[in-house]
Amino acid sequence: MMARTNWLGEFLKHSVLLAGAIVVLLPFYLMLSYSLKSPAEIESNTGGFVGSQEIMTDRRCIKAGKPPEECDMRPIVYNYTAAFSEAPLVRYMLNGVFVTVSIFVIQVLVALPCAYALSKLKFWGRDVVFGLVIFCLLIPVHAIALPLYIMLAKVGLTNTYAALIIPWTISVFGIFLMRQFFMTVPDDLIDAARMDGMSEFAIVWRVMLPTAIPALLAFGIFSVVAHWNDYYWPRVVITGNRDLMTPPLGLRMFKSDLDGNEYGPMMAATTVIVLPLVIIFLLAQRRFIEGITMTGMK
Amino acid sequence: MGHSRVHLWFIGPAVILMAGLLIFPVFVAAALSFTDYNLGNPSFNWIGVENYDRLVTRSTYKKMFTASLTYVLLVVPISVALGLGAALLISSLRIGGELYKAVFFLPVMATLLAMAIVWEFALHPIVGVVNDILRTGCDVGWLHALLSGSWLGGDPLQSWYGHACAEDFPLWLGDKDYALGTIAFIGIWQGFGFNMVLYLAGLTSVPRELYQAAHMDGADSAWERFRLVTWPMLGPTNVFVVTISSIRSFQVFDTVEALTRGGPSKSTYVMVYAMFEKGVKQNLLGIGSAITIVFLGFVLILTLIQVYFVNRRVHYA
Repeated sequence: MMARTNWLGEFLKHSVLLAGAIVVLLPFYLMLSYSLKSPAEIESNTGGFVGSQEIMTDRRCIKAGKPPEECDMRPIVYNYTAAFSEAPLVRYMLNGVFVTVSIFVIQVLVALPCAYALSKLKFWGRDVVFGLVIFCLLIPVHAIALPLYIMLAKVGLTNTYAALIIPWTISVFGIFLMRQFFMTVPDDLIDAARMDGMSEFAIVWRVMLPTAIPALLAFGIFSVVAHWNDYYWPRVVITGNRDLMTPPLGLRMFKSDLDGNEYGPMMAATTVIVLPLVIIFLLAQRRFIEGITMTGMK
Repeated sequence: MGHSRVHLWFIGPAVILMAGLLIFPVFVAAALSFTDYNLGNPSFNWIGVENYDRLVTRSTYKKMFTASLTYVLLVVPISVALGLGAALLISSLRIGGELYKAVFFLPVMATLLAMAIVWEFALHPIVGVVNDILRTGCDVGWLHALLSGSWLGGDPLQSWYGHACAEDFPLWLGDKDYALGTIAFIGIWQGFGFNMVLYLAGLTSVPRELYQAAHMDGADSAWERFRLVTWPMLGPTNVFVVTISSIRSFQVFDTVEALTRGGPSKSTYVMVYAMFEKGVKQNLLGIGSAITIVFLGFVLILTLIQVYFVNRRVHYA
């Protein structure tokens, strides 16, 4: 084929993609921009990206009886301090980290040995168990949310960390992914470990786990992204107890609490919640895209 | 003896959890869908198919099915087409492809609920930036003429844009004629980047020689190459992308709960939201379970269609 660059075509393609990119980035731009600007600038859509950053007075601060000079601040400072003082944002973030990490660790503890047994051990009923895994892949999480909610309510576990974690402890997808990965690991490796007198438990955690790191990483990205962003399940099982809320749920409460148009603090809180994943994504883009698409069948 | 029993320790926890947390709940939902069960009430009655009867006769649930199906029919074709279009453009670029790929994938990663709240601000009828931009266009003579069609000699007031300039732009989420479309727009915005990376992966697996062969056979234009080589070779990817998108859009919840709560006048009352509202908020677990079972049925049908198409392809190959 001819290797001549079609500059007009190239230009047109970039124009189309650029127009798409502007629409895609619009809310991210607005989120950052609103989190920096004063209420007046937000409402009148003026001030460009960062606003004029003129000193403004925090009315809540005056109401609290503090001296006026302490209540004068730049909009950016106002928005971010209000975000952290009006809602327990740090608590939400810590809850988010605790819940996502716990889910991932338990998923691996359950899935890895099972995947090893399904790929490398021969036992009666192995195909039945694998069939069960495939069958469970078909069950969408939204379809079992209601009965799970009833079961948790019956044992008095709604409004606990356990309620946020327990339903996700089993990842049939994780088992499937690990099993496919272990199928490619040579049997010689395991035989050699057995010759060295390693127990089956030691083989799982000291031989198989290290070889599975690439697959675990992909699965980890999938799992952490899914559960950090999950809103549906926390919304179902956490009612009212703010100490247990995860970032998306906390943000939702923040939104319904706001009187009037406190867009600035709201957008500052949104930025704080969205940013961690976005930054990690930009740093490890290729792995993220691979991880999410590889696990896309979910 | 070695590993004669040890496998029980390995598969045991997984099997118990699968049975208890995935399979048992499906049976619970199926059983409860024939009752008037609610939490806090010690007893319940078997009421036969009454819940299902309500699903097919009450107008609320008719609106629910309409909203869910319309949403899926809006989001799936558009997000699949945009995903494919973006993938084709990006893969044919000399430079900058990686950058666009990262940008389009960003919404897939970002917390949907948070971004939905940003879109709500952007779409605010008065202070929102979307209507602000649209209004600005009204005052620019040539843009107004172009968008309202008056440059073709039409009456500007007859067109959507010209009419909106004269009256005002829609309330978007607050207008029952626009709310579902707006929610669908956010869904497309969020999901097409996911389809794009699936298509990019599909495109790399098209053998280069096929393009050379097509070239020898006289297929010179980009369109001919696409029609004769790319499209047929993307068959399996298409099936996969369409099924995934359909299942994902059937599950829409975050945007609806945060922005419209099923309204206005139930125009965005999609299935998963209805399940949540009936089952969790109103404690009507019988009807909630019935919706759950119908929802499960839809998803299983979609999956079976996918399996059918994938198997057919394998047999041909």
